[in-house]
Formats: sequence, C-alpha cells, structure tokens
Amino acid sequence: MLRLISPIALAIVGILLFGDGTYIHGKAWLAQLLLNCAFDRSVATGEAVKPWSWADMWPIARIEVKRIGASAIVLEGTSGQALAFGPGHLSQTIDAGERGIAVYAAHRDTHFRFLKNVAIGDVVDVTRIDGQHFRYRMDSSAVVNFDASGLEHATQDFELVLATCWPFDAVTSGPERYILHATLIGTGR
Amino acid sequence: MDTYDTADSDYHPMLRRLIKLGLFLLVQGIAVILVACVALLVSFEPGWSATSEQASLLQPGDARSGSLLLKDDGATVEAIRLGIDVDINVSGPTLRARVTQVFRNPTRNWVEATYVYPLATNGAVDTLKMVVGDRVIVGDIKERQQARVIYEQARRQGQKAALTEQERPNIFTNSVANLGPGETVLVQIEYQEPVHQSGNEYSLRLPLVVGPRYNPAPIVQSVDFRQDGSGWGATHSDPVPDRDRISPPLLDPASNAPVNPTSITVHLKAGFALGEVKSHHHAIKVESPDNMTRVVTLADGTVPADRDFELTWKPAAEKAPSVALFHERVGDADYLLAFVTPPGAEASTRKSLPREVVFVIDNSGSMGGTSIVQAKASLTYALSRLQPNDRFNVIRFDDTMDMLFPASVPADAAHVGDATSFVSALQARGGTEMVPAMRAALTDKLADTGMVRQIVFLTDGAIGNEQQLFETITAMRGRSRVFMVGIGSAPNTYLMTRAAELGRGAFTHIGSVEQVEERMRGLFAKLENPAVTGLSATFSEARADVTPAIIPDVYRDEPLVLAARLDRLAGSLEIKGRVGDRPWSVTLPLQNAAEGKGLSKLWARRKIGDAEAARSMREMTPEDSDKAILAMALDHQIVTRLTSLVAVDKTPSRPEGMPLQLSELPINLPAGWDFEKVFGERPNVTPTQLRERHADAHDQPAARRPAPVVPDAIRLPKTATSAELKMITGLILIVLALILFVFNRRRPLLTDAA
Repeated sequence: MLRLISPIALAIVGILLFGDGTYIHGKAWLAQLLLNCAFDRSVATGEAVKPWSWADMWPIARIEVKRIGASAIVLEGTSGQALAFGPGHLSQTIDAGERGIAVYAAHRDTHFRFLKNVAIGDVVDVTRIDGQHFRYRMDSSAVVNFDASGLEHATQDFELVLATCWPFDAVTSGPERYILHATLIGTGR
Repeated sequence: MDTYDTADSDYHPMLRRLIKLGLFLLVQGIAVILVACVALLVSFEPGWSATSEQASLLQPGDARSGSLLLKDDGATVEAIRLGIDVDINVSGPTLRARVTQVFRNPTRNWVEATYVYPLATNGAVDTLKMVVGDRVIVGDIKERQQARVIYEQARRQGQKAALTEQERPNIFTNSVANLGPGETVLVQIEYQEPVHQSGNEYSLRLPLVVGPRYNPAPIVQSVDFRQDGSGWGATHSDPVPDRDRISPPLLDPASNAPVNPTSITVHLKAGFALGEVKSHHHAIKVESPDNMTRVVTLADGTVPADRDFELTWKPAAEKAPSVALFHERVGDADYLLAFVTPPGAEASTRKSLPREVVFVIDNSGSMGGTSIVQAKASLTYALSRLQPNDRFNVIRFDDTMDMLFPASVPADAAHVGDATSFVSALQARGGTEMVPAMRAALTDKLADTGMVRQIVFLTDGAIGNEQQLFETITAMRGRSRVFMVGIGSAPNTYLMTRAAELGRGAFTHIGSVEQVEERMRGLFAKLENPAVTGLSATFSEARADVTPAIIPDVYRDEPLVLAARLDRLAGSLEIKGRVGDRPWSVTLPLQNAAEGKGLSKLWARRKIGDAEAARSMREMTPEDSDKAILAMALDHQIVTRLTSLVAVDKTPSRPEGMPLQLSELPINLPAGWDFEKVFGERPNVTPTQLRERHADAHDQPAARRPAPVVPDAIRLPKTATSAELKMITGLILIVLALILFVFNRRRPLLTDAA
C-alpha cells in the first residue's frame, strides 16, 4: 500500500498541473467563443453586450487575418485578466482607425499563436465595436525588448501593432516581444 | 513448457497492464477535462499570467512630461536644443500664460522638431506665434486634419512651419518644420486658465512634468475636466507625491544630451492686498511694486523642467473675499465669471450633523493586486474616523453581494470592530455587479431626516453597463449623497465623476497605498462638514448659458464657480441654496462686475469639457458632440482634440549652412534671457528625448528599429502564459507516476518469479 502513495501523489500533482494548463487554454478558447457572440450582438445592436453575465470587461474590436483564417476578439486593457480571455488593447494607445499607433497584445501560446504564421504583406482586418471596418497591411516585424519597443504614441500615419511574447516556442516568459507593424490601407462601412 | 508458461504468464499480465494503463489514461483524461471544466465554471477570474505589475508599468503618462522627440532614422542624438520661458500674468480670477519655446538646431542637417509638453488641463490654448529671424508669423486655428495638411505641405515645400496640436486634454505638441542648420526658431503659445481657490488660498500650477507615471493620462485629465465642471476640484491642488521619480534616468546625460532650461516669471495682480506668496517646489525671488502686486521670478534664473511649478498666495486680510464677479465683452455677448464662497462653508465648521454612512467596497477580480489593498486600507481608515453618534453599514460586492448589517448600526466600538474584521477578510474575486450594490446602498431604510445620509463607494469601476448605474443613482438617490472613491492606477474616471455628480457627492482618486490617508482625510473633511446643497443660479434679466448646467453641491473651502455667456450685462445674478437646513441666497448685481480678460475662452473651454463628457457618457452622439466642440473651438480660437493652430512662413527658408546669428534674434525675447546660459552645457540637467526628422528625407514606413530606451516608448505587456510549462510538467509527473506504479507492480512479480 505504502508503495502506491508516491506514484499516486505524483499523479495527482501531475493531473492538477496538467489541468491547470488545460484550463488556461480552455478558458482562452471558451472566452473567445462567448466574446464572439457578444461582439456580434454588440455590433448588431449598437450597445455594449457582456460576453457573460459577470464579466467585467468587454470586447472592443475583432481582428482577422483572412489568409490564414485566424481571428480574435480584442478586449480593452492588458491586465492579466483581460489577456486570459483575449488580446488586449493597450489602453494608453489610440483606438484602431485613428491617427497614431494602436497596439494589441496577446499571449503567444493562445490568441496570438497565429502571429507566427502571419507574413509581411498580409492584410489584417479590424472591425471596431461601432461597426467601422479598417484594413491594415503588415509592413514590418521586429523582436524587441518589452521596455524598448521603439513604438511612439505620436505618429503621422494610421498604424496598428500586434505584439506578443518571443520566442513562440519558449515555455518560460522572457523580456523579448515580437511585434508586427501594419499601416492602414483602407476603411469601410 | 516452462518457457512457454513464463512467456504466457508474462504476456497476459502485460496485456492486462496495457489495458489498465489505457483505462487509467482514459480516466485521467476525463478527470483532467472535469477539473478544467469545474475550474472554468467556478471562477473565470484568476489571471494565471497575471501581469498587473506589468500593467501598472504600462499605464505611464509616458507622453506627459515635456520631451523633445527624435524620429529614429539614425540621426545623431546631438540635436535640437530647447529653452523654455514662461511668463504668467495673473489678473484677479484668471491667468494668462505665454510659453516661449526656443528651438535651436546645432546640427548640420535640416530637421523637424516636435516638442511634447504638458499644460494645465483646463487651460485654453488660443495663440501660436512663430518667430523666424525678425518675422513673426501668427498661427491660425484650423480643423485638425486641415492644419496637419497645411503643415505637411509647407514642410514638403521647404517652408518654415509650426503646428500646435492637442494630444490629450493636457498634452500638447509643438512641431517646427525645416529648422535649418544652426538656426533658431521661437515658438510661442498662449493660454488662459482660471486661478484655483481653496479656502483662503489661491494657487496656480504650471505643469513642467506631469503626475506620477502610474497615473494613466486620460484619467487625470478627465478628473480635472469634470471637477472643473463642478468647481475646481481637489485634483488641481493635489501635490504629486513622487515627483522626483518623473525625471527618467534612462538616457545617459552625456555631454551632448539636450537641455531644456526653463525660466518662469509671474506677474501677480490678485485684485486685493496680498499676504503670503509661496512657491512649493522652487526657490523664488519676490518683488512687491505695491501691496496688490507681486513679481515672482525663479531665484536660480532657470531650472531644468523636472518639477511642476506651484505658486500659492493669500490675501493680507484674514479672509479671502467671498464673492468675486468679472465680465468680458467679446463680440455681441458678455461673458461672466462668478466666484461665490457660501457662508456656511466658512462659519459652521464644526457643527456637524450625525451621519449615516454606507460604505460599499468592490472586491471583484479586477480589484486584485494592489487595488484591493488600497481599498481595504481606505475603508479601514474611514471606519476609524466614524463618530459614536454616527450610524454606518458595509456592503461588499463582486458578482454576489453581502451587507454586513441588515440596517445601519451605531458606530460603537463593537460594530466598528466587526466591520474592520469583515473588511480585512475580503479577497478580490469574481465579476462586477455594481448595480445591485448601489441599489442596496441607496435604499434608505432608516429614513431619519435628522441624519445626513452618505454613501462611500470604493471601486475601480471596471464595468460596461455604466448607463444602468447612472439610472439607478438618478432614480433612487433621494437625500443620499454618493461619494465615489476610485481605486487603483486606472479607475474608470468617467463612471466615477459622473456617478459622483449624479449622486451630488465628490470623486476622490486613490492611486497608491501612500495616498490613502491623505486623500481619505480630504474626503472626510467633505463628509464631516455641511455642504451647500440645492444650488441654483438665476439671472434676473439676461438670457444666460451657464456652465456647469447642473450646479453641484459645494463643500467646505470650495468656492462655487460659474461661467456664463449673457446676451447683455444687466440685472442681477441670484444664487440660492441651503446651508445645512437653512436657506441661503445671494444676489450679485451684474453692473458691479469688474473687467476680466479671457473669460470667453474659459467659458468655451468649460463648454467643450462638458461636451466631451457628454460624449463619453453617451448623452450626445459622437457626431453631435464633435460638431459642438468644433464650432465652439473655431469660434473661440481654442486648440482642442479637433482643432490645431498652424503657422507657415511663406517666405522661402534661408539658404543651407547659414547659421542664425544671435543678433538676428527678434527683440521681443522673453525678458531676462541669457542666451549663453540657455544654450550652455549643463551636465546635470534632465535629459529629454529627441526626435528629429530630416526635412528632406522621404517618409518611409520602414521597419521600426528599437530605439534607445526612451520613456515615451510604449511598453509591451507580458504575453506568455504558464499553460505550456504547467502541461509539460504535469505530463512528466504523470509519466513518472506511471513508471513508478508499473515498477512497483513489477517488482513483486519479479521476486515471485525468482
């Protein structure tokens, strides 16, 4: 009996850890589903719709890269809580579609995993919660330190930056960030 | 046979074990999914990759300190030098500031320089002048895009041009295009601002750097905004606690680091005999030509722009005048600015009525980290301030809600002790359902009119259904007053200010644990002293457009400040209200109003502030409010979110390589400037950041290189979860457990076989 204790204890810890990890992914995935519905309804009704009744954040935009079939709902703010559910809009940057630089950040292993497949020249579609549609083209990428992004608030153009952690396949977090820079090429609706 | 037997008996258990293993894995898989689902349902809240630390770093008012910027296309850092002179004229209730920025280009390139600088939030920027050589070019107000186009065009054509834009309500940029090698250009802006009054003390603040970095820009601005609407709120007089932190030691102050020495002169004409005049952060020299006038200059001549300049003055008499009335005629309208300090606010200082206070604390997940610590500290402090004859209750809420006592209880030691331990046990989790908590707090169970009913609501306001909350307050407020306490680095200020306004209370922002006591003391000073309530203003003859439209309660030491646009200056202004339970009114004959300056701009600035607020409250559609703001801004020549000032020197720029001589500089230089000193090297001065653009270079959207660490750069949050790490570790552990398990099972078999 005694000899069973150590494998069982190990197994329990292992299951808990594994469950924890799965939970992060499960949460990220499920939240996006709910956010997607909430976003569609928000756009349709013109009112902010909560993704779930006790949520204390709300969607502000949808980003899509049609070439690789990736899309995600962006939330306001980049607190750990918001980022667990979806990409976050750095609240001190401007909204997408305005003059200046809008920055969306998300986890490299959940919502922005697709960034590694995004190539320069890809078109990114951003639909804001007010229904306005903006089309950006990727024009550069860089790996930078989190505190030396080289991104400035005041820019001449209409710019969008998608940021996530670098490198993509690391398991621990580091100071490096991968940024994809895009410039507005068109608006719609 | 033996061999077969062994093989047989070995083979079957092996198969069994394999099946067992398979089953085990299956069960485990189900368990994992169950665990994940349960965890998912139980709480959506915890941030596994919690980045609150990072997030707080992310909210710096990065662009909020004055900084000269340099575009990173490989230009040398040795670039534009900048000197700043500020000349402030205080006349009675308003001040007019003239900020002169000297741009000098010591390089051999033609450059474009952009200077980002803070200004007072409620200041109205209305004048831009560019001085090139001996020519003065006066800027025109234009719609923002249009101004930008004009500027860009001039830039491309090699003409000198200057552009003033508002980035945020208290952040402006000045850009100068085509600054030739060795050239010097002066850019001068002017703005109008009301003087701040608190009790017996008048003050002005010149932001040279802005606020603690963890205060996100929009927050502080809008605080000022709305407070402005409600009579120069407390934010304006708040000291910035960690001012010293602001100067970022990020660039090495190398010998060629740019300097931006600032000189300040204040001509103080208060309109009454002056007593003490004091600068809080700088050594000053004060001259007194007569007893109503002071001229204040910096003792050291110039200072690095690393601390806000704050000047306060008091009247020589014991009491400040309690009424002040000023008017200005612009076009066919009269503009009026009235200050009234209600009597109750001075006289009945300590005769406080017993109070019923309901504290509401938000312990939702978004309050996690330092926010909940601040909220708990604030509430604990508040509980300790209750008087024995007060009554109180505590409500906590996330997506559920608890009321500590069924109805408000006397604030005796036992009850306060209960409440304190209740509060200290709170943990941040769950969602945010604010409306039921507000409804419970507003429900007036005691209905004891002998008591003042106050609600102190501590939250970060992270909700989306603001409108619903506003409706609840409007419908249920009754005689209750709602005091919002915004917690954390990024509270939803619009929600707070608006809720406080509707609840006729006040908004207090607590951004750090260190601020808790000071801010809460300020709040309690308001709570414990009777306010002047039910205020209304009526003009006997003139038709008036008054701002603020709904006059808020006025608390101790705060004057009521009204700005109005009148069709004619006739009749009188009557202000009515209640001090405690006594009615109070005062009538001001408009004929007695003294001549003031720039009042129209102040009025327009406040109307623009009102429109911006209405926009964010969705009381006006964005289009409507933009239209209103634009019309107002163009009418009154004010720089706003939608309008900019642009000046273009039509004459072609001077030929390359011809340095501008000192003697060529215009004579209307700010008095007391010593150019040698201004442009001399000052090694210990705060370095600014530089952005320089070669005027003739093409705009290329090339890859952005990581610039040197500049405080203006956007910081990126932490964007990796520990999911993979956890899953991998978990799997390894499970495999280990299996190996152990199998090994343990095998050993007896092996020993048996042996």
